Amino acid sequence: MLLFVSNVRRLGHTLHTDGRCWIIGLAIETEKLSKIYTHDANGQPVGLIDLSLVVEEGQIFGLLGPNGSGKTTTLKLLLGLIFPTAGRGQVFGQPLGSNTYKQRIGFLPEGPYFYEHLNGVELLQFYGSLFGMGGSALSARIEELLKLVGMWDRRFIRVRDYSRGMRQRIGVAQALINDPDLLFLDELTSGLDPIGVVDMHHLLTDLRDMGKTLFVCSHLLKDMEPLCDRVIILNRGKECRTGTVDELLRVADQVRLVLSNWSDELKTRLATSAADCEVADKQLICHFQDQSQALAAATIAVEAGAVIEDLGARRRTLEEVFIEAVGGEEPCDQSSE
Amino acid sequence: MKLYRIVGWLLAIAMLFAIHPLDQSLQYDRLVLGLRQPTPWFQIVARASGGDTELAVTGVTGVIVGAALGGFREVAASMLWMKTHEYWHKGHGTQAKALWLMRLVTLLDPHWLEPWRITAWHLAYNLYVETDDPALQAKYLQMGVECLKEGISWNPDRYDLYLELGWTLFDKVKDYEEAPKWFRAAMRYPHPEYVDRLVGHAYERMPDIPRALDAYDYCMKRNPLDQTAVGATLTIRERYLPAWDLAEQGSYDEALDAINEYLLAQPTSSLGLHVKAHIAEQAGQLRLAYDTWSLAGNLSALDFLAQRKAVELAQRLGIPVEETPQHIYMQRTGKEMKAGSPDRDRLSR
Amino acid sequence: MRPIFRVARATFHEAWRRRFLNGILIFAILIIGSSWAFAYLQPGAELQMVIDIGLGSIRFFGMLIAVFLGTRLVPDEIELRTIHTILAKPVSRAQFLFGKYLGGVGTLAANMLLMGAAFYVVFAIKAPQFLAEKPEDAMIVAAMYSNIAKAILLTFFEVFLILGIAVVAATLFSWVLSVIFTFVFYFVGHMSDFFQQLSDPERGASKIAQIVMGALYRILPHFEIFDIREAILMGTYTPWSVMFKTIGEGVAYLVVVLLIGYLVFNEREV
Repeated sequence: MLLFVSNVRRLGHTLHTDGRCWIIGLAIETEKLSKIYTHDANGQPVGLIDLSLVVEEGQIFGLLGPNGSGKTTTLKLLLGLIFPTAGRGQVFGQPLGSNTYKQRIGFLPEGPYFYEHLNGVELLQFYGSLFGMGGSALSARIEELLKLVGMWDRRFIRVRDYSRGMRQRIGVAQALINDPDLLFLDELTSGLDPIGVVDMHHLLTDLRDMGKTLFVCSHLLKDMEPLCDRVIILNRGKECRTGTVDELLRVADQVRLVLSNWSDELKTRLATSAADCEVADKQLICHFQDQSQALAAATIAVEAGAVIEDLGARRRTLEEVFIEAVGGEEPCDQSSE
Repeated sequence: MKLYRIVGWLLAIAMLFAIHPLDQSLQYDRLVLGLRQPTPWFQIVARASGGDTELAVTGVTGVIVGAALGGFREVAASMLWMKTHEYWHKGHGTQAKALWLMRLVTLLDPHWLEPWRITAWHLAYNLYVETDDPALQAKYLQMGVECLKEGISWNPDRYDLYLELGWTLFDKVKDYEEAPKWFRAAMRYPHPEYVDRLVGHAYERMPDIPRALDAYDYCMKRNPLDQTAVGATLTIRERYLPAWDLAEQGSYDEALDAINEYLLAQPTSSLGLHVKAHIAEQAGQLRLAYDTWSLAGNLSALDFLAQRKAVELAQRLGIPVEETPQHIYMQRTGKEMKAGSPDRDRLSR
Repeated sequence: MRPIFRVARATFHEAWRRRFLNGILIFAILIIGSSWAFAYLQPGAELQMVIDIGLGSIRFFGMLIAVFLGTRLVPDEIELRTIHTILAKPVSRAQFLFGKYLGGVGTLAANMLLMGAAFYVVFAIKAPQFLAEKPEDAMIVAAMYSNIAKAILLTFFEVFLILGIAVVAATLFSWVLSVIFTFVFYFVGHMSDFFQQLSDPERGASKIAQIVMGALYRILPHFEIFDIREAILMGTYTPWSVMFKTIGEGVAYLVVVLLIGYLVFNEREV
């Protein structure tokens, strides 16, 4: 699908600034990055508070959270569009807002807006020219990108006549114009139809496979769950959960047994040793406090003629984790950790 | 505050002050070239605060709108100028307002010649005939002349206002000694041909026959086809020159005889009477001179020169007469007014 | 430098799609084109009326375009969020700001050229008619041709300066406030000799007035320096030294304005 070749930069040395060592292999690093706009009625700061995150090169990094949780603020801080009130950050080892790293990044804002009077080709020519690109190389690149996002046959339509989906597609194209190493994507799939969503997800994984780093903001957790390598969940400006998706979805010390072709009698028997048992989609799902209990139960089940569909660590959906984390009164409910 | 910001702001302020010497040099150049037109703010404010409210509002609004529009200041002057006509024709009571506004227009746009001319004309001609008080009439004459002199100080490189001032002195004051000086000033700049002849006309009426002939001679040298100058030269040589020459030689009686001979044929010729009176004055026959000037003054209501001369002589002879505006004007203005050298910086300082 | 010109070019193309700009331009050209129709108002000074209305219109409408274009250039980008994708590319804020300004200058220059050309045509038609009635003014009218071109050239720099002030004002204030600010700046700049007179000790200015009014006189732009109408009407030659000094002063002031704009916009959140 992607014809262009990425040039992954792996600089194996360290840069000394302010007496600290920053490892260049990190795409993004922030340290207690804060942007406080104002304070609410209870005197709590509103904005982004003390965000520390590390994004390694080659990852798909998800910044998740409900509306107003500080996702876009984080993006704007990382792009140098706004300035932190405290803390600091680096992108590719450069201070925030530096022109140097902007050569290597692409940005798709949420619900992107472009010069309305340009058509797709002109728009990409303009953005390409900002990188000093031009001539036949740029033309070839534009054709490639327009075909990639499925806009080639609509390339002469002016932006003001675009649908939301078309804006999103041309937005992806402009973000990729300089073949960036790091992509910032804000609500990538908003406004897209299901086929478009699937296309975009393919695009993301393809890009990751080419060694690109992707920094994705979204409130659509279901979409992000299979894609992200690492996620941060933000709520009301604060970091609630951080980790790889695996880490977040696994429930500590619980083992899950999924059975089909089970009987009510078997269910009653298992329920005595299981922490809980539930029926979903004609399958019996039981959770156990430790592995030995689970293995014993599995043995019983096989003897009773049931079929084991799955046996392993208990997994939750990202949505569950999210609701658990942000559901309470406090910005972050840390009770389960 | 970051260092670059402090440095940046200091640099900006330093540059503002560094522009100043360049600005000073430019302002000097503009003054020399006559490009600089400082708004006489103090005069405008003083006039606005001293005048009546309606006028102050109109005037100050005009100035502010004019200044505000920048490039349209002159157009604002044009608009106010139209307003002056409205005031002028409304009736007697509003003429003062009209004059005030006219004055404002000249302040707003002093290089526009029309308002200077019209304002002076209103003063020296129109207001002049609206009163019977010679002292007031003399004052209007004086104001008209001063208005034109100020206009000249703003526009010293155009003939128009020199001519206008010369004409006012020639036609209304009948100061034939002063008028040609301003015609000559007008002649230094591109001008219509008749200005040249006006010098001759003035000396002819003064009378100063040799200078009149010189002036016409100049006209004919400039344009040999100038029929007016040719005709005037012939007339003067035939009618007045013989008497004038005799008087110059001291033969006053013969001179008077010569001019009387012409006056027998043309008893109402005002030029002839002027020459006769002039010769009588030279001969020391003041009574005859008085009678002649009086006759000329009575024959033509507009012969203000004869009327003024009659008053002068009557005073010397002890004859009671009514003063004329022109006489009052000449006495008031004296000699120092006549050294009216254009002072173009008068308003800017 | 490259990004500046890219942004400038995009700004220029975009500006021509602004309806109010086209409206002002058409209206201005109509007024200039019909200025001879107003000339009858001043018998004996028809040519002066044509010049006053023509040059006055170029200035006034140039100023209007500068104010309304300048105060929209950057805020539009911020409100429509088009600035986000641009500043996320290797374009610094300074480059963006100067690019927007330069694009505005191009737009303004094109508008002024059109208005200037319209006026020049009217003048060239009207001047011979005037000369036929008043042949003694031949020298003055002959000098007018070059003087009017010079006057229009100076007006260019005047409106460029106003545009700079408008662009910078719009980075500081809301739209309405920046429009008012720019207008007031323009008006007060035209009255700068007032402050000079107020700071004149010969007119009885106190020590404090001398310092405060003197500083105001130095800080305010002197818009009247761009006015050479007197030379046009008197038919005097406007030397190039004066032209260069005027343009130099205007450009120097513009540099100060843009420097302040850079200092403000560099810290501005978008």
